[in-house]
Amino acid sequence: MSTSNPVAAANQMIRQQKDDQQRQYLTFRVGNEMYAVATRYVREILEFDQITHVPMMPSLVRGVINLRGAVVPIIDLAERFGQGKIAVGVRTCIVIIEIIDDDETHLLGALVDAVSAVTEIEVTSLRQAPAFGNRIRGEFIEDMARFDDHFITLLRMEQVLSVNELAALAGQQRSVSIPSSHH
Amino acid sequence: MNLDSIIGTFLAESRELLQQMEDALLQIEQSPDDPELINAIFRAAHTIKGSSGLFGYDAIVAFTHVAESVLDRVRAGEVRFDSELIALMLQVGDHLGGLIDWLADGHDLADVSVETRATDAELITCLKRYLEEAPTAATAPQAAESDHTEARTASGETASHHWHLSLRFGADTLRSGMDPTSFLRYMATFGTVAHVEPVLEHLPALDKLDPEACYIGLELAFVSDADQATIDGTFEFVRDESSIEIIPPHSPLTAFASLLQLRQDEGDEQLQRLLRCGSLTEAEWLQLQTPAVVAESDTTSMSTFGSDDAKSDFPTLAAGNTSPASVATTDNAKAAKAGKEAQRGGGDSNLIRVDAAKLDQLINLVGELIIAGANTRMLAQRSGMLEMNESAETLSRLVEEVRDSALTLRMVQIGATFNRFQRVVRDVSKELGKDIVLQVSGGETELDKTVVEKIGDPLTHLVRNAMDHGIEPAEQRLANGKSAQGVVRLNAYHEAGGIVIEVSDDGGGLNPQKIMAKAVQRGLASEGQPLSDKEIFNLIFEPGFSTADQISNLSGRGVGMDVVKRNITALRGTVELDSKLGQGTCVRIRLPLTLAIIDGFLISVGQASYVVPLDMVEECIELPGKGLENQEFLDLRGDVLPFIRLRQLFADDSTPPRRENVVVVRYAGIRAGLVVDQLLGEFQTVIKPLGKVFAQVPALSGFTILGSGAVALILDIPGLLAQVTHNDNRAGLASSQLNQVNHLRSNAQ
Repeated sequence: MSTSNPVAAANQMIRQQKDDQQRQYLTFRVGNEMYAVATRYVREILEFDQITHVPMMPSLVRGVINLRGAVVPIIDLAERFGQGKIAVGVRTCIVIIEIIDDDETHLLGALVDAVSAVTEIEVTSLRQAPAFGNRIRGEFIEDMARFDDHFITLLRMEQVLSVNELAALAGQQRSVSIPSSHH
Repeated sequence: MNLDSIIGTFLAESRELLQQMEDALLQIEQSPDDPELINAIFRAAHTIKGSSGLFGYDAIVAFTHVAESVLDRVRAGEVRFDSELIALMLQVGDHLGGLIDWLADGHDLADVSVETRATDAELITCLKRYLEEAPTAATAPQAAESDHTEARTASGETASHHWHLSLRFGADTLRSGMDPTSFLRYMATFGTVAHVEPVLEHLPALDKLDPEACYIGLELAFVSDADQATIDGTFEFVRDESSIEIIPPHSPLTAFASLLQLRQDEGDEQLQRLLRCGSLTEAEWLQLQTPAVVAESDTTSMSTFGSDDAKSDFPTLAAGNTSPASVATTDNAKAAKAGKEAQRGGGDSNLIRVDAAKLDQLINLVGELIIAGANTRMLAQRSGMLEMNESAETLSRLVEEVRDSALTLRMVQIGATFNRFQRVVRDVSKELGKDIVLQVSGGETELDKTVVEKIGDPLTHLVRNAMDHGIEPAEQRLANGKSAQGVVRLNAYHEAGGIVIEVSDDGGGLNPQKIMAKAVQRGLASEGQPLSDKEIFNLIFEPGFSTADQISNLSGRGVGMDVVKRNITALRGTVELDSKLGQGTCVRIRLPLTLAIIDGFLISVGQASYVVPLDMVEECIELPGKGLENQEFLDLRGDVLPFIRLRQLFADDSTPPRRENVVVVRYAGIRAGLVVDQLLGEFQTVIKPLGKVFAQVPALSGFTILGSGAVALILDIPGLLAQVTHNDNRAGLASSQLNQVNHLRSNAQ
């Protein structure tokens, strides 16, 4: 896999390996940590382009993009993990995630610092996450995996991008951000 | 052929027919003898029976057959529609609807529940009572005009008050320059053709048909005071080659027996025609069958009649036809009109049935087309090629037309939804023991099918609420000088690119003090809060206002007015309530005409683009440069115009341009200004829903995609205006501030 264009390579991998997806993971970087998400969640990967900002939303909702006619909300994963805002750079990517919630399919974009690869993670390399000492909320973690001499956090996307939780956060924001008067 | 899709059509058609039947039943309460309504009800039952038979749904056929027989007696004038029979027929409709739903869910009719079976049996018992009843008390609707309701004197005489004419025109009738319809026209000059039955059995197969020959015959019920000679004289020119039989009113039964004998070759159909004309009643026919009256009666026709040979009906049904058109009315001019109406009511051939999903897909595609077109237009402008530009302009104009016609495809009149409430009001008023009538107006107002589908539940709740809580008991109404009968009104009309639906009643109205007290008790308002009556009334839409002790089993059902409001907000609509104590209440729902594509007005603030629905834009002005820094209103030609700075509201920290603009918007009678950077002009806006994540965001009602492919936000003007009124609900304050402005300005001059 060429490191010069990991996005194109990863997209290709995702397309090719739709059949045997059980142990296929897309790995990416948020901050200094490596994370992985099962490829069955991943619709595609986009290089960062313009995002339309949506006012009065919590900062973890960076805005929306037009994905071939569908309007997709973009969630800043660093904000979601409580680690501040992702600074957009040349390697910043949007991972389009498909989540089924309440029998409805939702498309959401996860903003990440960089996408690295699609890899196969052996069951034997899976480790249970420690009860504490994690940098992110426990319910976001599916498992930990040992990979190339370091640990990768496998994410539970239903929790990370919980539509209900995001909607509730947006609703809370409402009461704070409406300037009720300027007197 | 795909049987599933045919069954789908059958289910949809049956539901439609049941709805038509119900509508007619509810109308017939007012005019029980209207032959058009009776025919409509009969046709519905008849068609359902026929098409159920095609699919082998024998249970439906058997059940409907009994109902149809009763209706047939109504048609023959032997049984009259009274409130009891109407109620029974409504139940019949409900039961059939239940069976249809059962089939639609993919179940087998053999597996219906015990309760359904019991209902079935019970209804059949009730229906059969109408079949046994002695027909002597019945009145023929066709004869309603002739007042003398002489009962039959001798047993050998028929009850019918009209002449019966049995006409079989000779083959050369047309060739001799005569036209059978001209006889009908002539007869109308001295009487009334009450019923016409065409006789088509003599029509040969197409390859044997001589286009110049006449094959038609007619059976007529004719109400007239003219003597036999006059009627005879009508047919003088065709008598020689035709077979003309004229039977005066109250003729002996034997006259019909010999007529049947004469038309023996037409068999059972001729008998059916006599029955349908009302010239012969079923009871009289039974009498006729006894050998004492007629020795040589046609045994084959006897045996088939009564079982109403269903199979023979099926070919016509399969071809999508209803029973042979029968026109029964009081004069010829009316007959023509009624014929047209019957055609319209009974499956107009100019209409085609289209799967709603196909329309939705079309509209989605048109949406994509608009976005792609906007992109082309933008690129054409950028290219600077004059011809390219012109071509792109033509294209976008055509796209706009396609959009408009695609959207009208999905527009339906709200009348059908309104009429459904006749039944609700009827049932609920019985349940409550209140005499309440529903008045419907504006039924022709059109709106998008997707909106219509979602408005049913909130409307049901509001109508029930008006009946339960709005309309007072009769005694109280009389004491207050009102008529005992309560009125609930449904009204609809178009206003500023939207539709307004009103649910009103002439009941007791709401007491603002009581509501305020309750709101304070529930913590929705604070004591002494200066609220207008209107603001107080609208508190009942707040979640948590409806309480258990207030909800009766009827309007309650665990749903409060807050749910009504939520449902309507989800449709991008608003709801408000007006009430006058002692005079009534009116709930006004405002909805957008469509949820798909609108004309928008594009504006920008900083880097962001926003769309305002164009019908809500009143005008655009430049923001006066000075003196408004700390104000939230300006002077628009002498009026106070409150405004919102979008930059401030959306916490956009970009630097404002030197000149800002104000878009003046109006909705539901409230006007306000939006301060924006740039006015970018009209824009075809394809609405993309907010989705779950953004559902709670105030001030936004949707997304759209610009020609450049970027996403723009559609502003929720009703929401923004509600906020303005909330901020400045003390208009007095604003106007005193305006006076101050005027004062300052005059000082400056």
